[in-house]
Amino acid sequence: MSRPPWRLPRPPSLLAGADTYLLLSMLVAMIAIFGRLNGAWFTTATMVTAIEQNAPLAVISVAMTFSIIAGIIDLSPGAMIALTGVIIGLVNQHSHDMVLAVASGLGLAVGVSAIHGLLVVALDINPVIVTLAAYIWARGLATGLTGTGSITVDGPLISFINNTSLFGLGAPAYIVALAYGGGWYLLNRTVLGRYTFALGGDPRGARRAGIRVTRQIIFIFCLMGVAVAVAALIAVGQMASAQPLAASGLELDAIIAVIIGGTRLTGGEGSLIKTLVGVAFIAILNSGLSEQGLSDAYYALCKGIAILLALSVQTLARRAADRQAARGRNLRPEWASERMARVE
Amino acid sequence: MLPSARARARRPTGERGKTRWTEHLIGFLHTFGVGLVAIALLLIFGLSTPYFLSRANIDNILIQISIVGVAAIGETMVMLMGGIDLSIGSIILVSAVITGALTTNHGLGAWPAIGAGLLAATGIGLVNGIFIAGIGIEPIIVTLGTLIAAQGLGQAILANEGSWIQVTNPFFFSLATDQVLTLPAMAVVMLAFYALAAVLLRDTALGRHIYATGGNRRAARLAGIPIGRVVVATYALCGLCAGVAGMLEIAQLGIVSQNVGDGMQFNAITAVLVGGISLSGGKGRVEKTLLGVLIVGTITNYLTFRGVSAYYEQAITGGIILAAVFLDHATRRRAQ
Repeated sequence: MSRPPWRLPRPPSLLAGADTYLLLSMLVAMIAIFGRLNGAWFTTATMVTAIEQNAPLAVISVAMTFSIIAGIIDLSPGAMIALTGVIIGLVNQHSHDMVLAVASGLGLAVGVSAIHGLLVVALDINPVIVTLAAYIWARGLATGLTGTGSITVDGPLISFINNTSLFGLGAPAYIVALAYGGGWYLLNRTVLGRYTFALGGDPRGARRAGIRVTRQIIFIFCLMGVAVAVAALIAVGQMASAQPLAASGLELDAIIAVIIGGTRLTGGEGSLIKTLVGVAFIAILNSGLSEQGLSDAYYALCKGIAILLALSVQTLARRAADRQAARGRNLRPEWASERMARVE
Repeated sequence: MLPSARARARRPTGERGKTRWTEHLIGFLHTFGVGLVAIALLLIFGLSTPYFLSRANIDNILIQISIVGVAAIGETMVMLMGGIDLSIGSIILVSAVITGALTTNHGLGAWPAIGAGLLAATGIGLVNGIFIAGIGIEPIIVTLGTLIAAQGLGQAILANEGSWIQVTNPFFFSLATDQVLTLPAMAVVMLAFYALAAVLLRDTALGRHIYATGGNRRAARLAGIPIGRVVVATYALCGLCAGVAGMLEIAQLGIVSQNVGDGMQFNAITAVLVGGISLSGGKGRVEKTLLGVLIVGTITNYLTFRGVSAYYEQAITGGIILAAVFLDHATRRRAQ
């Protein structure tokens, strides 16, 4: 039984954005708990440190949002940051030319990402597999090239990243702001952003609508390459050295940040503002937990449990919203909720 | 689709007379390619280095692959069902730590301790399944969460027991050194689990439901398959396999430290992919995973033999995944 045509559609459910608001309130609650546990933790200095330490994660999360909206999961950034950093370090060591070093790092990161895109498009291989291979080989190559040691890097760019300060915030914070601003513009105000949504929502439909899917996929991978190069530069700058084990597990944190923000893994929807909230959640969790003087073991245990809890709360809220929306469309809720369909 | 059914359905009967021999060849390669690659590798490596095919080295390879081999069984089931489990490495750590601590520091016998370790491993798998089927979070994200949490759990228990545990129980020692039917005991354990898994996937209701769920989830639900229970059972079985891998890890190393199981999920996924099981699920056989494990193990062993450093070995492994998926894809497209 459908609604009569003259009736206006129901207003959107109040629960529609509930998952993002829930995450914001969980973020506030977490800050309150950490502040209560340790009074000295909640200071401006802590927050600034939290932003700067998580700058590589924040930058990667911008590109990861594009990937996930387009229905692509990219597992390569952590290992590629390490490899790019090592290349920057090695080129700088041999040529003492920072510009050349950064250019070769950028070339490597974008080149490898473009190859990933080509493999995905031309051979129709699942992106998870292509980037899983990079996850393994890039880390191996980075460790092999340095012989497990680290390479000291210095130069004007390094001191720029470490010593520039404007209104109490260092260069990494401004790079992050620039990345989010640029990313937001690209995603919401340009054709490339529109096509990204179209690709994730319905790849076949996108192709039939005349979108050049091949070019779009390669663009999304190359965007990740640029983000990797920027993140590698920040990481090398902050440690004043290139380390083969840098950024391990960063890709997983980035995926979690995007998903926990409320963007769906199935693609076709999402926003950078949600991702920013997700990154803030991970950053505060990292900062607050490491301030409690926990051993690595309990730190990992608490982090894992917190992530699973936050995800559960959000998923349940989202399901409730879906069910309510379905009721508005006169669908039987058990058909509409399709909870197993989403597991795919 | 199941193997026998697929063979029958590959081509409509009316076209049978028209198929060219190249198509037969490609179809043959698609079905038996993994096995041919495994045999070819053994021959090439064997001819280039005489010691490679010696009895001692073959035993060595079998022992080396037994841990990842058992872990890959669980991953195969999960991937056949259309899911993915990234938490295997941490489950191996938790089960090894619990069993090691109970036998060594708390004086329990080998079998009760193994029971406790396997129970814990199955429990973590069960938690994965409940989060995925009950709450409805994507498997890759849930198992990432349990990867982090279970690693913390294992390391926390380990820290309470002293930072490492030397397992002196004779059972594990004999598991590592004994020969059963002229094969190393660990390899026999692995082969036994492969046989069990093959029977489970082919001949039991659960196995059929796993294929059906991975092949077409909506159709499976409409056909009345209890998908939620299948998902939970599969992740629990995957946890159990990881637990068995943890027991083998104790036997092989004799020491439980915090590096046990680290990154094992990616080795297992590599083996499954090299075996030719696709990430989308529904197609493939667990026997092919055994071949995948054998191929990766043989290459790793040969590289070590040639003195290649472990880090470059890792770099080459990444390349192997791409090559395997590419070959599988190239033959599959022609075979259809």
